[in-house]
Amino acid sequence: MNSDHGGTGRQRRFDALCTALRPDLVRFAFWLARDRALAEDVVQEALLRAWKSFDALTDETKAKQWMLTIVRREHARTWERKRLEAVDLDALVQAEAPVLASEDDAALAEMREALFRLDDGYREPLVLQVMMGYTTNEIAEHLGLTQGAVLTRLFRARQKLRVTMSVGGVEDEA
Amino acid sequence: MNCLEFRRLIGAEPAGRDAGAAAHRATCATCAAYQDELLAMDALLARAMRIPLRPASHARGVGVPRRRWLALAASVVVGALVAATLWVSYPAPTLASEVMGHVSHEPDAWVAREPLAADAVAAVLGSSGVRLRGDAGTVTFAQRCFFERHWVPHLVVQGAAGPVTVLLLAHRRVDAPVTITEQEFTGVVLPAPRGSIAIVGRDIAGLDDIARRVFEAVEWDV
Repeated sequence: MNSDHGGTGRQRRFDALCTALRPDLVRFAFWLARDRALAEDVVQEALLRAWKSFDALTDETKAKQWMLTIVRREHARTWERKRLEAVDLDALVQAEAPVLASEDDAALAEMREALFRLDDGYREPLVLQVMMGYTTNEIAEHLGLTQGAVLTRLFRARQKLRVTMSVGGVEDEA
Repeated sequence: MNCLEFRRLIGAEPAGRDAGAAAHRATCATCAAYQDELLAMDALLARAMRIPLRPASHARGVGVPRRRWLALAASVVVGALVAATLWVSYPAPTLASEVMGHVSHEPDAWVAREPLAADAVAAVLGSSGVRLRGDAGTVTFAQRCFFERHWVPHLVVQGAAGPVTVLLLAHRRVDAPVTITEQEFTGVVLPAPRGSIAIVGRDIAGLDDIARRVFEAVEWDV
């Protein structure tokens, strides 16, 4: 039996979730923001908000989705606050080169840059599916899209990456 | 299902398990190759998405516990041989990152606390020709997962120090133990009679006993 009724138990449970989830939350935020420093700030703020409303999380098996939603909202808030101007992709790639690089795997670095250059609308559902393990239904719910729209975006995202990576070349757009 | 429908479906979900897609794949080598290509691309994508993170600001000292791991792994693998002298730790970034990628892919598994029924665990392991003998610990998560293009059993076993993830990698041979370290996570991939076993946890000291028990409890080629 545990004693998770008091503040200590609450904090312990929250710490455990943070330990498990934080690495992928930062990665998710990075692929949203395409800026590692900003991603870390976003996750820090998101975790603070999560802690404040932790009691609202009644089912801890849903913690991943819950925290991802908070990260996504925090990223949107940050985006609005900064009123970022038009994105210069080449400059972004250059700025984040240390993150995108891979010393011993050229294909890995190439894929990171290809993903980095993918439009937001394609990149986010792909990250949710491949890295976070979301189903297309969950992605649709998370992004407020229909499942059909999610399937189309995922299909097109992969087609664009195939072309960029020159592993295929068949362009059968939906 | 025709080729176009197959490609649209698989292009959105390469690892999907749609029955119609599986039936089409069995009859169309071109589409099967297309799916294999996408699965390979997804594997690369998954690795690409796992960008390196900065070291945790509150990194824990791991020097002494790591030595305990060396001894454990060697003793588990070769039994009576002198443990520390047989430990060969070499960098295997691909396998280690694949394992960590998968472990953090399903963080929900870490928070499960209810013990699973033995038959539920057996059902997951049985399809991979594996069985758990004796007392490996309380299993609170068991699922077949797609890992390195193979379906592998993924378990979470409760130890004295908390949950430990176990991946039974029958397809993946390693010649010597491979250490895994990322942020607070630490683990090892041990050579097994068939393939290997990856064991990952967040408390190094707590892993020793459960790793030994799990390794000894796995019966391959059932």
